[in-house]
Amino acid sequence: MSEQNMKTHSLNRALIATNRFGYGARQGEMQKAQRDPKGWVIGQLKTVEFDPSLPGSDEVLHAFYQYQQQQRKKKSNQNIDFGDDEIPKNFSRKTLQNASADGLIRSIQSSDSVSWRLLDFFSNHFSVTANNRLMAGLATTLEREAIAPNLIGRFEDMLLAITKHPAMLMYLNNERSFGPNSLAAKKRGKGLNENLAREILELHTLGVDGPYSQQDVIELAKGISGWSVKHPKREEGNGFVFRNYGHEPGKRTLLGRSYRQNGMSQGEQMLRDLATHPATAKHICRKLAFHFVSENPPKSLLDKMQQTWRETDGNIKSVMTTLFRADESWIAEPQKFKTPREFVISSYRAFGIREVKQNSFRYSLNNLGQQPFNANSPAGYSDKNEDWLGPSALMARIDWSAMVGGYQKWQKIEKILSTSLGSQVSQHTYNSVMRAESREQSIALFLMSPEFQWR
Amino acid sequence: MMPNNKRSNVNTGQEKTLSRRKFMQMAGGGMALLTIPGANIFAREATRVTGDAKQAGRPKIVWVMLRGGLDSMHTIVPEFDPQYRKLRPNLSASFHSPLLPLARGFSLHPSLSTMHKWYQQKSLLPVVAVSSGYQERSHFDAQDFLESGLGNIDHDSGWLARAIAVNNQSALAVSRTVPISLRSAANVDTWFPSNLKDGDQSLYSALQDLYQYHPRMNESLQSGLKVKGLVDDDIVTRRQGNFMQLCKSAGQIMVADKGPDCVMLELGGWDTHNSQGNRLDRQLKQLDDGLATLQSTLGQQWQQTVVMIATEFGRTAKENGTAGTDHGTASGMFIAGGAVKGGRVLGSWPGLKTEQLLAGRDLMPTSNMFGWIGNVLAEHWQLSEQQIAQIFPHMKPYRESLIQKPA
Repeated sequence: MSEQNMKTHSLNRALIATNRFGYGARQGEMQKAQRDPKGWVIGQLKTVEFDPSLPGSDEVLHAFYQYQQQQRKKKSNQNIDFGDDEIPKNFSRKTLQNASADGLIRSIQSSDSVSWRLLDFFSNHFSVTANNRLMAGLATTLEREAIAPNLIGRFEDMLLAITKHPAMLMYLNNERSFGPNSLAAKKRGKGLNENLAREILELHTLGVDGPYSQQDVIELAKGISGWSVKHPKREEGNGFVFRNYGHEPGKRTLLGRSYRQNGMSQGEQMLRDLATHPATAKHICRKLAFHFVSENPPKSLLDKMQQTWRETDGNIKSVMTTLFRADESWIAEPQKFKTPREFVISSYRAFGIREVKQNSFRYSLNNLGQQPFNANSPAGYSDKNEDWLGPSALMARIDWSAMVGGYQKWQKIEKILSTSLGSQVSQHTYNSVMRAESREQSIALFLMSPEFQWR
Repeated sequence: MMPNNKRSNVNTGQEKTLSRRKFMQMAGGGMALLTIPGANIFAREATRVTGDAKQAGRPKIVWVMLRGGLDSMHTIVPEFDPQYRKLRPNLSASFHSPLLPLARGFSLHPSLSTMHKWYQQKSLLPVVAVSSGYQERSHFDAQDFLESGLGNIDHDSGWLARAIAVNNQSALAVSRTVPISLRSAANVDTWFPSNLKDGDQSLYSALQDLYQYHPRMNESLQSGLKVKGLVDDDIVTRRQGNFMQLCKSAGQIMVADKGPDCVMLELGGWDTHNSQGNRLDRQLKQLDDGLATLQSTLGQQWQQTVVMIATEFGRTAKENGTAGTDHGTASGMFIAGGAVKGGRVLGSWPGLKTEQLLAGRDLMPTSNMFGWIGNVLAEHWQLSEQQIAQIFPHMKPYRESLIQKPA
């Protein structure tokens, strides 16, 4: 084996464009990216669209309430028949399955996969988990209703939309958080819940090393107290509602700044200031660079991104454009080990597949450890190489590749190599793949090759 | 003993046909990934003249494809040929126990004890120096060529598919997709247990090789193999488990009510460029144990069954520098089963002197697999000359009788 083969392979810019910044090349994309790699990537910063027939949060909330009502009535009257109005027991689970599959298949089919990478980044940043019957349906609506519409807009608007969304409010229990001196607390003994406020500061904005104290957590929790979700029985409609009688009265102080008492806009102003705080810019820019470029992003890259953040008041498209323009982002050596989601999507893109069975997705991502809407932590899934490169994670990936090799063995391996990696693989990998003892094995080896696993 | 018990276990209650659910339970997998192509042979009404009554006694075929290129000279060993030890000083001394004698000075590899027992019972026909007619050295193309059975590669038509089509018979491929061997026929189903998650050992070996310049992935792979208990001796047990499990399922499916007329099984791991001695000890043991399981699962049906085992090509006559062999031409095949007129070694021996080898390196083919296969199909499934010509338009079956006349 020559010296050259022993070094980590270096990537050309079309490969970086498609593989590091997008979800891997579909047929013909490598050639398009080749002409102007930076322009190709930046041109993909677009809004993303989901299947419009998927139920929104209003519908999910309504159906959940209806279902509970119907079950209650059924208990007292066995023979009751709701006919077509009956909400099926699996409504929520079906929504979860359909929405999970929709995001994946659209990422696989998209000719703007960079946008889907960005959407998935923020969906994981603002992670909500399908941890009960209601959340199973509701968790899927957050990225569609609060993230996608603001994906190439301002971070501030995204943060507000997120914090007012029933999925986030209910996942982190803010819908029942009431100021200790509010009317609700006095009359009904309700109290403050700091959960959402803490995660906003620790995860969504300033970051765990950010300049905040426990007192700031309480102040923010009070600022957003009364931000709740409509009660379907007592209130018209579904979704977000501000309950003045649950809002903590009085002036608040957050990070040394004071906020007058004026109802909902108190919390809104707090969030706007948090969104544009330099520590937030630092936190999010680093997280973006960590995800899209490298686990040790160059300081010069972070400086450029933060400068853009300041100049544009946190415009996500501008910040991403800065990242993509910076030469530091185009380091020739592969930096990141694909997450299972990236691995599965890029595999299907390489095969040029248009349809994938829902079961197959569910099976794949469950086994690989990254089931959609199921991180079980508001911090989302890990974005660290070492967490996905562990022995059992790797073995699961090998099993999956062996299985997919069985299904896709009629793909022409030379074509896949060229489609997906522009045939830029080491001689050693090329030989291993081409000389595999069977077609299945050659597909599996391609999928498991360092060149396909790293970006 | 087995078939009746099996069937009453499987087909209880009022079910007239073997339902897919029963089939899954019987085959014993978590079936999340079952592939179900359009035709479902199990729900199909029997329209054949043979009818249901004769089900248990219907002549069945098992086609076993060894992917990777079996080294026949390490399997059906030409001990009598003085050139053999000269060409293979190390490999010829690598057997773990005495070889198992056959006729004409050939011997079976010691891992093949079941096959040797069959040979003694006259239920096994080893064929030496046989090839599919393929003359290049690509695994993929050679496998496709062998499966097409047309003297060229046709990805959409396989010989076993054409064989079942002429008589409206049915087949099952123990595979995730329909292999070429069974393409172009209507009554073909595929089945593969989804709980069989271990990538097979040859993939792990290939990955160990692939990662040799990538320390991070290599380290993870090594630990992963350890965690899975896939080290040294454990590997053998696991792998045998896999192929044995597939053979067992295949056997159960075949003897079930309205079970398929033929089944295709595949076993990889034969591409022994290095450490061939140890690798083939294990590989052949795995094959032999699987076949033993197949026989016991088939029970009485074994008497009406023919198993054909072949590989895409053979390997170089001379051993290479890494205690292995490289891609060659002629190899061996096996025709086995209760229905076989066995106990002979078929195929003439071309010799191993340099001038007798193909291009001075490969064992020279002296017969064509399809000649033997055509013969088995004609005798065992009683196909006419015209029907055989539809299956193998380029190759007439050999005249030698290989199958016992029905009692």
